[in-house]
Amino acid sequence: MIGGVRLLQVMSHHLFLLSPTDTPLYSLTHYSSKPTPSTASPLSSNLPSWSTSAFAGTLTALSGASSATQAHHAQAGTVRLGGGQDRHVIQMIANASLDVIEEVMRRDSAMYLKSVDKFNEWTVSAFVTPGNFKFILLHEAKNDDGIRSFFNEVWELYVKTMLNPFHTMHTPIRSAVFDSRVRASAKKYL
Amino acid sequence: MSKQYKAIGEDIWKGRTEKINAELFALTYGALVVQLIQDYEDYAEVNKQLDKMGYNIGTRLIEDFLARSAIGRCSDFKEVGEVVAKVGFKSFLNITPTVTHSQLPPTSPTTQSNTAGASFTLTLDENPLAEFVELPEEALEGGLWFSNVLCGVLRGTLEMIQMQVQAEFISDTLRGDESTQIQVKLIKYLEEEVPVGDD
Repeated sequence: MIGGVRLLQVMSHHLFLLSPTDTPLYSLTHYSSKPTPSTASPLSSNLPSWSTSAFAGTLTALSGASSATQAHHAQAGTVRLGGGQDRHVIQMIANASLDVIEEVMRRDSAMYLKSVDKFNEWTVSAFVTPGNFKFILLHEAKNDDGIRSFFNEVWELYVKTMLNPFHTMHTPIRSAVFDSRVRASAKKYL
Repeated sequence: MSKQYKAIGEDIWKGRTEKINAELFALTYGALVVQLIQDYEDYAEVNKQLDKMGYNIGTRLIEDFLARSAIGRCSDFKEVGEVVAKVGFKSFLNITPTVTHSQLPPTSPTTQSNTAGASFTLTLDENPLAEFVELPEEALEGGLWFSNVLCGVLRGTLEMIQMQVQAEFISDTLRGDESTQIQVKLIKYLEEEVPVGDD
C-alpha cells in the first residue's frame, strides 16, 4: 500500500493562456497516461504520485503567506478552476514563472521558449506569440517536441478564435469549440 | 441549360480583375454585424437592418450582373433559381449553392412554376461571410441570422427585374443546424413601375 511506484503514471499538464497584460484567458488541466521518458529528477520518479500531491498540499499550507503576496497576479480568480488543493500551487508556479519568461523574452526572440523554470517536479515551458500572448504549460515530464507541436496547434486555434467577430479581445475565451479542440490537441501531443 | 449557366458563372468570376481577400471580407462583415448588435441591441431589428442593407446592395448589383452576364429573360421562376445560384452567387461570391425547387400543389394541370407561391431553396455548403464566426449564446437565443444581408440582396435584385419575392433563412450552420438554407418565395410579378421609396 505504502511505497512502491505506480506502474501507470498519470502525467498532468496545466496550460494557461495569458493576454499581453497577463490577464488569464484560458486554462486547462490535461491528464495523459502516455508513456513518458524518465523525468530528469530521479527523486520524483521514485515517489508514488500520491505523495507528490501530498507534498504540494503541504506546500500550499506553508506557502499561505507567499500566495498572498502573489495576490496581485491572482486575477486568476476569475478563471474557472478545477477542484483540488494543489491548484493554488500550480497557479503560484505559473505566476512566478512570468518574471522568468519576461527575462528570457528579452534575450531570446523565438516564440517557443522551451522550459524556462523548474519547481520541484514541475517544469514550466512557455510560448510567446508575436502579439505578446503567453502560453504557459506546467508539466512533469520532458517532452520538448510534443510540447512544441502542441503550442503551435494551440496558437493556430487561438488565432482562429481571435478572428471570430464576437470575441472581445483580452477577455476569457469561452468558446466550446476552442476548448474541445485544445483538449483534442493535448491528447494528441501530450 | 444548367451546364451553360455554370460556365457563364465561372467565366464572369474569372474575368473579374478586382477581387478581395476573403479574410478581409469576412472580418469586415463580422465587424459590421457586431456593431449593429451593439447599436440596436435587438436581434430581430439587426436581422431587419441587414435585410435593408442587402436590399440596397441588391438594387445596384443587378446592373452589374446583367452587364457582365448578358443573360436574357428567364422563362419561369425555376430558371430564375438556376441563374441566381449558378451565375449570380458564382460570379460574386465564388460559391455555387444547390437549388431545390418547389411550388404550391398545382390547382390545374396548366399551372407552371410561374404562379405566386413558387419557390426555390438555396443550400449553401460554404458561406464566405461566416468564416471563423461562432455565435454567442445570446445571439442564438435572440434569433440572429448572421448572413441575413444575402436575403436582402436577393430581394433587391429580383425586385429590379420585376419580381417581388420573400427571401429568408430557414436554417444556418452557425446556429447548429445541419445546413445553411435560404428560401426564396415568389409573391407576384410586378407589372407596373417599381415604386420608388424606402421600404
